[in-house]
Amino acid sequence: MRKIAIAISLIATIIACKTDKKDAEKASIPAEQITEATSINIDDFDLKAGDFINQEIALTGIVDHVCKHGGKKMLLVSDAAKIHVTSEERFDDKLIGSEITLSGVVKEERIDEAYCLKMESDNIKNHSEGKYNNDDFKKKKKHIQQYRDEMKEKNVDHLSNYSLEYVSHNETK
Amino acid sequence: MLKKTRKWSRILHRDIGFFFIGSTLIYGISGIALNHMSDWNPNYSVEVVHFTSNIPLQKSSQIKTNILKLLDQVDDRAHYKKHYYPKAHQLKIFLKGGSSIIVNTYNGKGTAEYLKKRPLFYQSNYLHYNPSRAWTWFSDAFAVALILFALSSLFMTKGKNGILGRGGIYALLGIIIPILFLLI
Repeated sequence: MRKIAIAISLIATIIACKTDKKDAEKASIPAEQITEATSINIDDFDLKAGDFINQEIALTGIVDHVCKHGGKKMLLVSDAAKIHVTSEERFDDKLIGSEITLSGVVKEERIDEAYCLKMESDNIKNHSEGKYNNDDFKKKKKHIQQYRDEMKEKNVDHLSNYSLEYVSHNETK
Repeated sequence: MLKKTRKWSRILHRDIGFFFIGSTLIYGISGIALNHMSDWNPNYSVEVVHFTSNIPLQKSSQIKTNILKLLDQVDDRAHYKKHYYPKAHQLKIFLKGGSSIIVNTYNGKGTAEYLKKRPLFYQSNYLHYNPSRAWTWFSDAFAVALILFALSSLFMTKGKNGILGRGGIYALLGIIIPILFLLI
């Protein structure tokens, strides 16, 4: 019995000695690592993101929101921009309201006719299964139509939604 | 052999059970809290205060000074963190501790949302979300212990209260219920 107690204490001590905190890692990235990525003005993100797909960029903005469910999504904002940032690990919710310089890889989500058709079939399925009520169904339908109208208006075969995949950040003073 | 298995099942179940009392409470409390996330904010209690101010809060060179004046009225200027304009006539002010204020700069009507950490829940939820690699290892050990508790319980008690009696019926029910949820 004493042996078990000793073994448990030993395991607990080893575990407790490992102090690499994921959130702490995110809060203490040196600034020089961030400057390696191409810096762009956050307000220009939507205009320039297309030139940096799958490339790392750095920009400065205010953390408006950290997803309260998983904590792995963040909304980085300025007066003129809203950027969704995703991460493999949790963001510290203490970052909300802080100005940070964030480095991340630009990701593109393409919205084209195939995407709209998929959304349409999902909408019908969810409605028939009772997951969406009539209001949800109509809202989604309107949303899909908005995508189609926008593509038609811009005379393009797809729309692009850009987001960032988190790499590192540094809090600005 | 069975006698020895029973003896060790009891010892391990009891001693490791004592060791993981804290973890069980953490996962139990946060489990309930996070299960009902759509009904409440499990980390913070939220107090909403409405106000109207005549301090000019449109974009200007004086905006920071005016925001601090507003905070003197509705909160405390020492709590100021950052601000931005989500919309042309809307100002959002972030306060230390996660609270925030939104003001309509056109009519001066504002809403302050004050967040206060829920003691015990905040800390339990923080740990539940796996904040560090060390905690991953520790919680994996806890998960292994849970498996061990389940397996050792099969051998702990003999006779009518054991797995071949009443215990078996409970165990079966505990397996059937999750399966029913999968089938329904």
